[in-house]
Amino acid sequence: MTESPIQKIRLMGLLLLVLLVFLLDLSMGTLKIPVSEIVKVFFSPKTANPTWHFIIAQIRLPKACAAVLAGCALSVGGLQMQTLFRNPLADPAILGITAGAGLGVAAVMLTGGSMATLYAIKELGVSGSWLIIAAACLSAGAVMLLVLTLSRQLKDNVLMLIIGIMIGSITLALTSIWQYFSDPEQVKEYLLWTFGSLGGVTGAQLSILSGVVAAGLIVAFLSSKMLDALLLGEHYARSMGLTTRRARVIIICSTSLLAGSITAFCGPIGFIGIAVPHIARTIFNTASHRILIPACCLIGTILLLLCDIVAQLPGSQSVLPINIITSLVGSPVVIVLLLRRKNLNSW
Amino acid sequence: MSKISRLLFSFFVVIITLLPILGCHQRVGSKEPGTPAPGEVRPDRSIVKYAHGFTIDYFDHYKEVKILNRSGGRMDTLDYLLVPQGMAVPAGHPTAQVISTPVQSLIVMSSMHVAQSDFVGVADRIIGLGNGHYVNSTIVREGIQSGKIKLVGMDANLNNEQVITLHPGVLMTMSNPESAFGQYKTLINAGIPVLPNAEWLETTPLGRAEWVKLVGVLTDREAFVNKKFDSVEQAYRKIAALGSGAAVKPSVIIGMPFKGTWYTPAGESYMAQFLRDAGADYHWSDTKGTGSLALTFESVAPIALTADYWLNVGYADSKNDILSKDPRYSTFHAFQTGAIYNYNRRVNDLGSNDYWESGAVNPQQVLADIIRILHPGLLPADSLYYYKQIK
Amino acid sequence: MASDQVLLRTSGLQTGYHSGGKRIVVSGELPELELQPGRLVCLLGPNGSGKSTLLRTLAGLQPALNGTIDVPGVESHKPAELARKISLVLTDRVRGNNLTVQSLIELGRYPYTGWLGVLDEADKAAVEWAIGAAGIGALRDRKAHTLSDGESQKMMLARALAQDTPILMLDEPTAHLDLPSRIKLMRLLHRLAGQTRKAILLSTHELDLALQVADTVWLLEAGGRLHQGAPEDLVLNGVFEAAFAEEDIVFNKEAGVFVIHAAPGKPVLLTGVGISFFWTERALRRAGFTVAATTGATPVLYHIRITDHPTHTSWLLDNEGVSREYHSIAELLQAIR
Repeated sequence: MTESPIQKIRLMGLLLLVLLVFLLDLSMGTLKIPVSEIVKVFFSPKTANPTWHFIIAQIRLPKACAAVLAGCALSVGGLQMQTLFRNPLADPAILGITAGAGLGVAAVMLTGGSMATLYAIKELGVSGSWLIIAAACLSAGAVMLLVLTLSRQLKDNVLMLIIGIMIGSITLALTSIWQYFSDPEQVKEYLLWTFGSLGGVTGAQLSILSGVVAAGLIVAFLSSKMLDALLLGEHYARSMGLTTRRARVIIICSTSLLAGSITAFCGPIGFIGIAVPHIARTIFNTASHRILIPACCLIGTILLLLCDIVAQLPGSQSVLPINIITSLVGSPVVIVLLLRRKNLNSW
Repeated sequence: MSKISRLLFSFFVVIITLLPILGCHQRVGSKEPGTPAPGEVRPDRSIVKYAHGFTIDYFDHYKEVKILNRSGGRMDTLDYLLVPQGMAVPAGHPTAQVISTPVQSLIVMSSMHVAQSDFVGVADRIIGLGNGHYVNSTIVREGIQSGKIKLVGMDANLNNEQVITLHPGVLMTMSNPESAFGQYKTLINAGIPVLPNAEWLETTPLGRAEWVKLVGVLTDREAFVNKKFDSVEQAYRKIAALGSGAAVKPSVIIGMPFKGTWYTPAGESYMAQFLRDAGADYHWSDTKGTGSLALTFESVAPIALTADYWLNVGYADSKNDILSKDPRYSTFHAFQTGAIYNYNRRVNDLGSNDYWESGAVNPQQVLADIIRILHPGLLPADSLYYYKQIK
Repeated sequence: MASDQVLLRTSGLQTGYHSGGKRIVVSGELPELELQPGRLVCLLGPNGSGKSTLLRTLAGLQPALNGTIDVPGVESHKPAELARKISLVLTDRVRGNNLTVQSLIELGRYPYTGWLGVLDEADKAAVEWAIGAAGIGALRDRKAHTLSDGESQKMMLARALAQDTPILMLDEPTAHLDLPSRIKLMRLLHRLAGQTRKAILLSTHELDLALQVADTVWLLEAGGRLHQGAPEDLVLNGVFEAAFAEEDIVFNKEAGVFVIHAAPGKPVLLTGVGISFFWTERALRRAGFTVAATTGATPVLYHIRITDHPTHTSWLLDNEGVSREYHSIAELLQAIR
């Protein structure tokens, strides 16, 4: 597929918008901090008010970065799933992949009935983070593989979605069993995790997350050609030279890295994966993944930063869980999507 | 007189003599106020002074306990009649549960109940426990080891059949009266009284501790409990006066954030009361609410950055623990000066923290700890009991 | 015109699949098959004879149970190598994407584009040619899922042509098409084979059209045997008829069609010539009558005489001496039923 200059212009425009919304997110919060302060924090940190410096640099900046990472990872993950399953409603959450990641997280958080085990995991500090990420990515990958295998028996998109939802339910049930037999403290911590939060990722965790997400995004971008071919289905893709088995493995790996790592650190965040690819397709009017992947990154970032701004209820003392906001934003998009299409088999 | 008239006269005399006695019985049936008249001291009757969650009323040969639940302006009450063994149950209380006193066997759900029983000296009457994870009392731990105390599960996992077999004098639960009390219907119908012990809803430390009087009332040990609680009360008031009268009030932050949300005690919670009594400057002391405030890290950060002391830091044992949760804590002033204290000095090998057990019924000790931390030298030198410094 | 070059050759091929641990043979006795440049091969056979399985096996979409498929120039059967030799048009419904017709056709250049899939000048030229050859230029900016069945088929053909392979295989390309589209497609394929020197293999149920355009027919019997040869040979030597033979199904060699109404009916005598004779006979057969050419031993019920006038045709019905004239076949049939 060929790119026209207008696509490049659109991408540029979105990039500008990202920077704007990023700055906006930094300036919003419980405390009113003037924009000039924000600029000072970046360019002449010594002269900035220490409290404000701390808040901007240590609280808002990591959160905004987490929003960027999550926005990119979840939307590209969703895009790949929509292509792989050739289903416009696929996304890591609906197909149970996020629930799978949650199961992995639960395994780490809820194992062992006693405080001693939980304590020991906390002692691990940074390595504990790796453990959680690994568990989340592995279980996400396992669920994705399961859904994919089952989906190959089916031609119908709707049936496939139902299977995905069922698998998600099974995973959640398994997690619930775990919770049932755990201590209240552990359950409370797990419950808080399910609300989703961008604010909890700092320092070393943020670096690890950036690394994993970057790896996932690079693999995804390099798979653009593969993904394009898969748009026609596996038989045609094969006839055009694609080794479908290897392609599937690569795509599953990249999506699991993306969805799993974000879920591990930020909790399950839904609807970004479904909504953003469609918005990207509408704005750019293309199916080429070479363009859509960067587009999804930008749009996903903007959307999640906006959700974060809303979630903060700027000026108030409390913050809403990010999941609530993304649901409120994402559900109308899905509904509009369904109304515009006549059925799920044609877009 | 004729025989008949003598009979009649005797009968009349007998009736006259009996009347006062019958009249007395009538009076016994009417209520005597539980609060003694001013100046009247009844050492064997407990008076509730601080707690808002329960009331005790004394009648001639039985007691009535009401557990109150205040939520959103509504008052729900659970009614209990404490009737001595063998006595008739007074009529007129169709919804009340009847507890036979003195209670000889208890099944309890929380470590606070264990502490209360310990306080009252009846820990050896416990025959069942919710779960064995969180126990510090030696008597109870031995009981679990020897098999005398059975583990019966909690809430939805409560093993009804086991409880019915054990047939305790009373089952103490942790739920407040509002939540799903219906789940205990089976046990109540089997003749086992279920009593929600909701001391954790109290808003003052003394109110929380005062629930020991409930256990005292159940076991007919009011005299003992009254004396013991009085000394606790006096000790508490004495050091509270010292603390709240301190000239300099250091600023304090409580707790740690989780995933970006910092839960810190609201102004009407018992923890906030502790801080007021200890002479601390607690930023949220005037807020409404008896639980915790869910604040953003951002709103707490300005205070946290400059606070003098940092208390109650979760499960942390060392500064490394704290850093591993979040490297940003290193910028807190309290972190840098080492003024971090946690209430986990008394954690046993099971991981159970005695602060939540005996600490609940010894508020004077907790307060003393906090005052020693915030105002060194104000109280006679002594080591901390529940708190320890985090290094 | 005939070239000795062979683009694909099979040897000892057996097709089938594995199901639940068992080996299921679909076609077990295939002869040596060859595809040559410029030839159109039609794969025919009744339902269930294994046409699809054979096609998919030759295309590399499923493995053969036995034997070899040799494509000169290809070392292994890796998809990437086969992709430069064989392109496909399948029955798979291509849906669930947001592609324009142009973009979809451009995907055909997959084996030749770089790692990101960007098209160079050569690729763009190939795409343009394919669009022209398939005749789909007017639709290039439409979204793929908005096309009708016929247009969609042309689009998939264009994509395969863009892939620029010596061999083109199509699985039931005429299904879902209306008659004019079917004819156009078959004609197009026949022309393409000649013009581009590609070897084209297609499976179809369109016996009629296949017999007209195929250079070679591969006829799969229900039992698994495959007969190959020029279509006319297969008709003349009765193989064709035998392959489709069933009770009451007869292949009329003269007309080259399958006859629906074969059972002998009541005899009538019909005289006439040309088209009118042909169509009157058909009508009579449908109505349950058999036409005797000349008066023979069998007594006939009726004698019908057809006369072609400049402006109309009339039918004269003789029945036991009474003659009646009719001006349409419908009226005639009405009378004799």
